[in-house]
Order: sequence, then C-alpha cells, then structure tokens
Amino acid sequence: MSTTELSSDARQQGTPPGDLAIWFFIYAELLAFGVFFLAYAFARAHHVELFNDSQRFLNRESGAINTVVLITSSYFVVRAVAAIRAGLARQCARWLGGAIGLGAVFLVIKLFEFHAKFSAGISLSTNTFYMFYLSLTIFHFMHVILGMVILAAVMVKALRGGYTAEQHTGVETGASYWHMVDLVWLILFPLVYVIR
Amino acid sequence: MNNIENQRKQFIRPCTRIWLALLALTAVTYGIGHMELGGTHIVMLVLAISFIKGEMVAGFFMGLRHTGLLWRAIMAGWLLIVGGGIAIAYLIGLK
Repeated sequence: MSTTELSSDARQQGTPPGDLAIWFFIYAELLAFGVFFLAYAFARAHHVELFNDSQRFLNRESGAINTVVLITSSYFVVRAVAAIRAGLARQCARWLGGAIGLGAVFLVIKLFEFHAKFSAGISLSTNTFYMFYLSLTIFHFMHVILGMVILAAVMVKALRGGYTAEQHTGVETGASYWHMVDLVWLILFPLVYVIR
Repeated sequence: MNNIENQRKQFIRPCTRIWLALLALTAVTYGIGHMELGGTHIVMLVLAISFIKGEMVAGFFMGLRHTGLLWRAIMAGWLLIVGGGIAIAYLIGLK
C-alpha cells in the first residue's frame, strides 16, 4: 500500500484517513472494549475451572467462521476505499454492499449461537463466564449493526455520486469505524473462545 | 488512466496479501482452540498472533501505517496493554 493511495489531506498532515472525529470515537470505543476484555481476563483468573468448563460449550467453529467473515468484510471495505480513490463510485458501492452482506452473515451466525445458548437455559445470570460471554458478544453485536448502518449510508451516497476521487472523506470515515469493529473481534475471539 | 491503474494494482496487491495472512493466522488460532491446547506458551503464542493481526488491521487496513507516530503509538499501546493485561491475568490464574 503506497502513500499515493492516501487521501491528500492525510498525506499532508500525517493524520489517519477519514474525519478526525471518528478517530476520537474509535479510540474511546477501544478503551471501553479494552476495559471489558481486562475485566474478563481478571475475572477468569479467579475462576479458571469455571471459565474453562463453560468455554467448552461455546461453538468455536461459529466464532472462527465469524472471524473469517469480519476479516473478509474489512478487506472488502479496503477495496471500496481503493475504488473511490480511483474515482470508481459504483465499484466502491459494490464492495461496500459486499461488506454489509458479510456483516449480515456475521449477525445471523451470532443469532444462531445466541439462540442455542438461550434454548439451553443459559442467561446472563447462569455464571460469571456466561455473564461476560453474553454481555461482551452482545455489546460487539450492537457495534456490528451500527457499522452496517454507517456503511449503508456511505454506499447510498456513493451510488448517488456523492463521492469523487478527490473528495471521499465519508467513505474513509465509515471504513475506519468498520475496521475497528473487526479489530475488536480479533481480540474477543481468542480471549473468549480459545484461551484456556 | 494508466497512472490510476498502476495505483490500483499497487494498492490491491499488498492488501490482498494482508487479508490472506490474516486468514492464515486465524486458522492457526482456531487450530489451537480446536485442539483445546492450553498452557503459558500456547497462550503467549495466541496473544502474539492477536497482536500481529491487530497491527496488520490498524496499519494496512485502517491506514495508520502512513500517519504520525502518536496515532500509531496509541493503537500499538492499546494492543500491548490489553494483550499484556490478558497475559498477566492468565499467569495469576495459574497460581
């Protein structure tokens, strides 16, 4: 990835792509998720057997597939940004549509997972592990929905010709948020589904 | 037009490589989980993989690679503090 693909503003100022405000929001979100992750890790330190036993009932395959889905959706968003930087608005919208579709796949897989747990009588009050598992994953689930809404708004604007090769801050802003949603899952998956 | 095409090629090829590398690292993490491997070395490996993946997404996908040191340091610091905290908590749990 060369600097020629960066927006002119970012190249000049050394700031991240997109609206600067989204980056303050992204770092605030990372702080919230970070505190949540550490709370999980230190709660586990005091209930290792409970966490290891409960983790066995998670669907690790679903978690892994969803990791692939989110990474791929992030890749699609990178391609969408590349397309608009080349002035290809319709191609940008198609990549964004693909990313939104993969976001929907993530939600459906997660809903199946939640359904299986709730059907088995598992709830927030079952034990400390499930309290963290459900609250962490539902918190992230809501961020995926918000990310899809943002990407959909950007896609519609791209289809209407609202972005050009010279002016596409909105695409970069939406992309940055979506990558953050992906980034958080890349920590959540090993922490909750794998580490034992 | 040729210039734009060249730019697109330069852009797409590295990001596709990053995507494939992220998928490969995910396969390793899943394999460790599938075999239910545990222990300090395995957990440190899983956390190291997560750090690398996080840096790849932040640097190449989010574009932080081309930003000032402060922006990159905040992201790397977040990954280190969260990853390091998880590692410390894991070691406490072993006692």
